[in-house]
Amino acid sequence: MSIVPKETIEVVAQSIGISNLSPEVSLALAPDVEYRLREIMQVEAIKCMRHSKRTVLTAEDVDSALSLRNVEPIYGFASTDPLRFKKAVGHKDLFYLDDRDLDFKEVIDSPLPKAPLETAVVAHWLAIEGVQPAIPENSPVEAIVSPSENKKSENTKEDGLLVDLKLPVKHVLSRELQLYFDKITELTVTRPESNLFKEALVSLAMDSGIHPLVPYFSYFIADEVARSLNDLPILFALMRVVRSLLQNPHIHIEPYLHQLMPSIITCVVAKRLGSRIADNHWELRDFSANLAASVCRRYGHVYHNLQSRLTKTLINAFLDPSKALTQHYGAIQGLAALGPSVIRLLVLPNLEPYLQLLEPEMQLEKQKNEMKRKEAWRVYGALQCATGKCLYERLKMMPTLLSPPKHGVWRINPRIAISRIKRKLSTNNSSQQPPFKKMAVDGPAGTIQAIATTTANLQGAEDGFSPQSSGAGTAQSSAPGQVSIDSIGSRREKGGSGAPKGSVVLAQAWKEDLDAGNLLSSLFQLFGEGILSFTQSPEKSFFL
Amino acid sequence: MEEEELQKAVLTYLRKKGFTKTELALQEEQQNRLPSHSDLPLSRLENSPGRYKNGYSKLRSWAHCSLDLYKHELLRVLYPVYIHCFMDLVAEGHMQDAREFFQNFREDHELMHLRDLQKLEGILSPSHLEEMELARSLRQNKVRIKICEYSYDLLLQYLQKTQSFSILGIVNERINFEVSPGQPISISDDAEVVALVGSSHDLAKHINQKEVRWGLLEDSVEERLEKGNSDSEKAEDENKEIEPEENKAITMIFFKTLKRSAGGGKQTAPSKKSKKDKLVAATGKNVRSETSTVAVAPRVKPELTLPVMPMEVEKMIINDLRNRVQLSSMALPSVCFYTFINSHNGLNCSAISQDGSFVVGGFSDSSLKVWDMSKIGQSATLGEDQSTFNEHLVGTEEGKSSCTVFHGHSGPIYSATFSPLGDFLLSSSSDSTIRLWSPKLNANLVCYKGHNYPVWDVQFSPFGHYFASSSHDRTARIWSMDRIQPLRIMAGHLSDVDCVQWHANCNYIATGSSDKTVRLWDVQTGECARIFIGHRSTILSLAMSPDGRFMASGDEDGAIMIWDLSSSRCISPLMGHNSCVWSLAFSREGSLLASGSADCTLKLWDVTSSVKGQKIEESKTSTTNRLRLLRALPTKSTPVYTLQFSRRNLLLAAGALSKC
Repeated sequence: MSIVPKETIEVVAQSIGISNLSPEVSLALAPDVEYRLREIMQVEAIKCMRHSKRTVLTAEDVDSALSLRNVEPIYGFASTDPLRFKKAVGHKDLFYLDDRDLDFKEVIDSPLPKAPLETAVVAHWLAIEGVQPAIPENSPVEAIVSPSENKKSENTKEDGLLVDLKLPVKHVLSRELQLYFDKITELTVTRPESNLFKEALVSLAMDSGIHPLVPYFSYFIADEVARSLNDLPILFALMRVVRSLLQNPHIHIEPYLHQLMPSIITCVVAKRLGSRIADNHWELRDFSANLAASVCRRYGHVYHNLQSRLTKTLINAFLDPSKALTQHYGAIQGLAALGPSVIRLLVLPNLEPYLQLLEPEMQLEKQKNEMKRKEAWRVYGALQCATGKCLYERLKMMPTLLSPPKHGVWRINPRIAISRIKRKLSTNNSSQQPPFKKMAVDGPAGTIQAIATTTANLQGAEDGFSPQSSGAGTAQSSAPGQVSIDSIGSRREKGGSGAPKGSVVLAQAWKEDLDAGNLLSSLFQLFGEGILSFTQSPEKSFFL
Repeated sequence: MEEEELQKAVLTYLRKKGFTKTELALQEEQQNRLPSHSDLPLSRLENSPGRYKNGYSKLRSWAHCSLDLYKHELLRVLYPVYIHCFMDLVAEGHMQDAREFFQNFREDHELMHLRDLQKLEGILSPSHLEEMELARSLRQNKVRIKICEYSYDLLLQYLQKTQSFSILGIVNERINFEVSPGQPISISDDAEVVALVGSSHDLAKHINQKEVRWGLLEDSVEERLEKGNSDSEKAEDENKEIEPEENKAITMIFFKTLKRSAGGGKQTAPSKKSKKDKLVAATGKNVRSETSTVAVAPRVKPELTLPVMPMEVEKMIINDLRNRVQLSSMALPSVCFYTFINSHNGLNCSAISQDGSFVVGGFSDSSLKVWDMSKIGQSATLGEDQSTFNEHLVGTEEGKSSCTVFHGHSGPIYSATFSPLGDFLLSSSSDSTIRLWSPKLNANLVCYKGHNYPVWDVQFSPFGHYFASSSHDRTARIWSMDRIQPLRIMAGHLSDVDCVQWHANCNYIATGSSDKTVRLWDVQTGECARIFIGHRSTILSLAMSPDGRFMASGDEDGAIMIWDLSSSRCISPLMGHNSCVWSLAFSREGSLLASGSADCTLKLWDVTSSVKGQKIEESKTSTTNRLRLLRALPTKSTPVYTLQFSRRNLLLAAGALSKC
């Protein structure tokens, strides 16, 4: 009747010394024993288990249940782990605890058990805005999917839908691509000067099948740039790889720009690039600056904050006096590459204070370190070039308004001017080349006067640059300023008399001219005559 | 035998004498008497233990064969009849038959009443009936069953026709039918049926008619702000109970910050307001009207000044409120999970401070350990480059160093809670004491003795200073930090009080018990204000919605129920977990409910949709609109012990990694 047979009661009675227990008593006791057992196990012990936030009953729970009832606990089962029961052979529902006999000597001789690990708390994101990141701390995907499959209940589908997971992407690369990648990376690192590398660059720029490798390349570049900041050839090679990748029309590089841009910017504004003094890191900075600018131009519409972030980084480098001059140079070049409007907005307002800062660095008396001085002159040149470009753009707007009627009058032979400029340029530093070339190509037809003034200007330009080597101070004279103002005055006369256009156009033109004139004059004050090389020949004729 | 012989003798005598007419009359009379003869074996059957089994099995098959329309109503009758048949058998001493009967039909009811059956199974003698509280209360109280008129007639007709009087007797004696005219109620699993509990339904009904002032505190910062027509973020009442002048200071700060923000972007503030309005629209109108009618709530607070909140804390809270993420079914929270590793099955409870910077674990070895997570975070970021996962399994030095151990209890710790400001820590233990600790001083401050049995749960009030505890001694008690004696004792539960939770306005506490009911108690009077019946097993966790209107309760079977405090109705049962629901938490603006369970999942439920669903239900009397499960987040074999939304609506969760 009861699950506790009366024989058990008899055995227990005998064990505590009651030998003459009548069968009626044991029969009456048996159901009560069962009731008490159930009470302890099913009610109290379960309660203790629940409040210990567990779902498996342990001996400890039974002990606390017994103590709740003021019964002495059962000793000898102290273990926080659930007990392991074994099934008795030949019986269906009989289980027993495997309680081995331990040799006392064995226990003493055995080494001390390891101390249990200390409890610790670790934190991780279980979900970010409701989506579980696939990190090792979270439940693996299989574990989530399989229970819902096993359940096969009607809400399985629901469950499946509710689990929103970001899976790690499995990327399958073909053997060929892997080989290609290995070869290219090896070439980049080991033989950046070889012809083979040039071929590789062409391949990178043309190949339509390398899209799967883009993430690997971007990672490789980011990694390698960080690692080989002291190795200029490798850096240059890496930047070339970047350029080739950017050129490749078949790959979709936008998602990886965030990885590439830091590397490029590093190559623009890093404090030290290359380990030897002889390393021409200036060239790398120019190259990278142009690269960054081209990225901005191409992907600026996709990432609206791309340019703003880039300029922010650069301007921070530029305006921080604690940064090295090399960094300033890079920043200026980077900003210059972004176009004249950026220079006008960001560089020009800061020009004067910066030059004051720069001046002592350039002077022989104040800066004894030749390296530093040279660097300062580099920066000076870059600054001049950048502002000059800006000025040039500014002035270029005027001919479109005013030149047409005059065009015919002054048109003589532009080629002379260009050739002369070119010749002159060859003596100049390579970093100044692009704007000059641009001027030469873009510039409207020169005049005889223009040629004359150009030569003069170019000499002036040389004057401007000559301090670079000689270390002489900048010529600061008040006269040019006056000249420019005078020229504006004379120009106004000319406009008034010569131009057949409406007065509105003229008024606008004058305003523009005034701005440009002011700009020119202020720049002239700062840079001396050197800046005049950036003005277009016909305009210069007006100003001077 | 004698009688028959006598009759024969009489008949032969009549024939001999030639009284043929008399003979016929006699025979006719004998014929007529035969049916009454058949009564004899029947009545004999009625007295035997077999009659219950017989009657019940007939009733069972009849109910199962009845028309589908009325079937579910008739089936409801079976369970009370079943257990009372069993108990009658036990009471009459037919132990063998009782057990046989019980086992025969057990399967029918296991789905709905497994836990009750497990308890009743243990009854083996009439004395047990008296001893076991469940059985006793079942015997003493009538089961209430809602039934439609026609079903009721059907049942009575059947019982009379088959003349199974024992069953009829049980039905009459034990069941209280609430006959309703018209069609049967379509909800087959009506909560009333499920809750076949000891408490008297009439009493519950009576209690539930009391008024519950569930509105928020009038003095709360939020309301002041609303009165001032300021459109700031919803300031919850965790803004502490502040003295009026302090309150002003807060509003001043609010205005200042608002002005500042208005200077920056004027269009942001109105848009925020409209958003908030929408959010609140479902419940808001009601809430507002109610709160405005609520008189200044009588506080439990004696003339004791609360710990004055430092200005920095106030600012921090306001800052948190302003930076709160608005959560909805579309915007789910981020969940930060604190995993206890190497706990060796010893972790009994855990708690997280409001800002998530401290985590406490209560262990079965009666120690209490506090981790400063901000320190762990720092060192973790330093060593980020190393393989993090191995580190986690092994247990790092950082984890060790930042842990403070509190010793003092002499039994397993069952609950711990941080004060709202995080400057105090309470723990309750099986040694029947509650201890107050200071994490700053690393010391035990007070030991509160009052309970007679293990204290299962302890909770700080939303404003601090007061706390409530619940115990195995079937009481819940209210304490203040400065008295070593309890201020109130709430007695009334029929079994252990397993969990306790404060109402948002501090005027009520809710308790969940092993008697499967949740009760709401008035803190001031100590009287029971509500009884919520509907759970089928022990209630393990409770949560109150921040607007004070709803309460969520989770039980051992994984069911979660959301209750409307004013109507004491269950809005919707939430099924989804398949093991104990250890913890529940409403998001700070009340739109989401998070539940953590022993089945190693954390689930997010949409509360706002359920409230709407309830309205639809009320208007159209359609089927229950189940609360929508928004997301189930499985953990890595880590049962979720505790959940908490920070003031900025970041969900913090903790659990112990259990190796399976």
